[in-house]
Amino acid sequence: MPDVPHNAGYMVAAYVTTALILLAYACSLYRRAAKR
Amino acid sequence: MGETLRHAWTLARKDLVLEFRTRTAILSAVVFTALVLMVFNFGRDPSAVAAIDLAPSILWVTFTFAAMLALNRAFQLELDNQALEGLLVAPISRTSIYWGKLAANLVFVAVVEAVGLPLFVLFFNVPVADVLGPLVGVIALATVGFVAVGTLFSAMLVRTRFAELMLPVLLLPFLIPPLMGAVQVTARLLAARPLSEVAGWLRLLAAYDVVFLTLATLLFPHTVEQ
Amino acid sequence: MTLARKGHWTTLVGLVLLGGVYVRAVVFTPVERLQGPAQKIFYLHVPAAVWTELAMVLVGVASVVFLFLKDPRLDRFAEASAEVGTVFAAIVLTTGPIWGKTVWGTWWAWDARLTSTLFLFFLYIGYLLLRGAVVDAGARARYAAVLGICGMALVPFIHLSVYLFRTLHPQPIILKPSAPSLPQSMLVTWLLSFAVFTVLYVGFVMQRYALGRAREEGDRA
Repeated sequence: MPDVPHNAGYMVAAYVTTALILLAYACSLYRRAAKR
Repeated sequence: MGETLRHAWTLARKDLVLEFRTRTAILSAVVFTALVLMVFNFGRDPSAVAAIDLAPSILWVTFTFAAMLALNRAFQLELDNQALEGLLVAPISRTSIYWGKLAANLVFVAVVEAVGLPLFVLFFNVPVADVLGPLVGVIALATVGFVAVGTLFSAMLVRTRFAELMLPVLLLPFLIPPLMGAVQVTARLLAARPLSEVAGWLRLLAAYDVVFLTLATLLFPHTVEQ
Repeated sequence: MTLARKGHWTTLVGLVLLGGVYVRAVVFTPVERLQGPAQKIFYLHVPAAVWTELAMVLVGVASVVFLFLKDPRLDRFAEASAEVGTVFAAIVLTTGPIWGKTVWGTWWAWDARLTSTLFLFFLYIGYLLLRGAVVDAGARARYAAVLGICGMALVPFIHLSVYLFRTLHPQPIILKPSAPSLPQSMLVTWLLSFAVFTVLYVGFVMQRYALGRAREEGDRA
């Protein structure tokens, strides 16, 4: 039975990237609304 | 319906007479096509890749760029002389304006392709003799698709900022599916393989033309509303 | 509560719930034996991809109805959906290559989902650029609607051409990225993630819509 691949680093990278994109957009929307 | 077509034809003729009287636009487009073909020739390593393998892509990228050049000038004539306003108050339907522009653009692009194809055959030594009929057929099929969408978009962009830059950016995503089909069918034809292998792509090209000609006809009035 | 505030709260709730999905996916969902932990990218990548496409369809539908009813609220919604769709497309196009590296060995392969999303991304960008380039508000709404409808009409052709292209060139995959039948717990995680992305879509669109409305009122003043 082959070993499970050790690629948790990639998983973390993808999860962090997704969170960053969503947080960045949420902040962008908030700041643009606050400016009005 | 008949009246729409007659008006469209009159419009197309007017445009084409103007174009071919000055000849600058058509000559520039033809020269551009020849130069692009030349760039492709020198942009590849002849010892690494056989011309015949790249040929379909070269042909279609060239035709795509030529079509976009042609479309860029599509509504320029009207804009220059504020003739667009005149067209819009004339007692002709919006649909005939679209079909007239479409026909003029198709003739323009067809002339460019009619010069480009022999040049392509010459420069890349491509065996088209046996498949010339079907090849012209697929060129026509794809070109109709390109120009149907392109005529609609160029009408929208004529009074928009950065129009020459916007047209390729907006149009290219729409040209890629028919481009893919055209390249595949051309490749099969040049390899003397049966067209049945590319039935799927041919259906895609035909469906694309029907859908986007219809859609453009329906949507065009919204691009020139006052 | 104003629309903007409701949008803020909805988004906040969505982000908190996303954190919950993260925990469930990483800690409480089994690791796929052949692909390893990287397979869990699937729980973010696919819901984002589904919403990227749904957002485009909604732009198209709103555009069609707008051309009939001429209601500016529809145009505002289309604008909002396009911007949010772009963000989700960005998620797909970043998580995709990260996952792809583990599955294909390369950062990019022209697989169906990545290719379609790339198309959608360019359609969105074109749509937003067009809106930015038209000064007159009435013309902007009409032109955007025309482009939105054409974009929606292109989607089936994108899928068809990608499908035909792939049957020509089988992708060099070592493992199948998404199993056809998911075990129960993985399916639940996926569904939860999709629900959260739905909440985020709604929250973002509400905020962006409110922003669009505020801008129009500001321009008129």
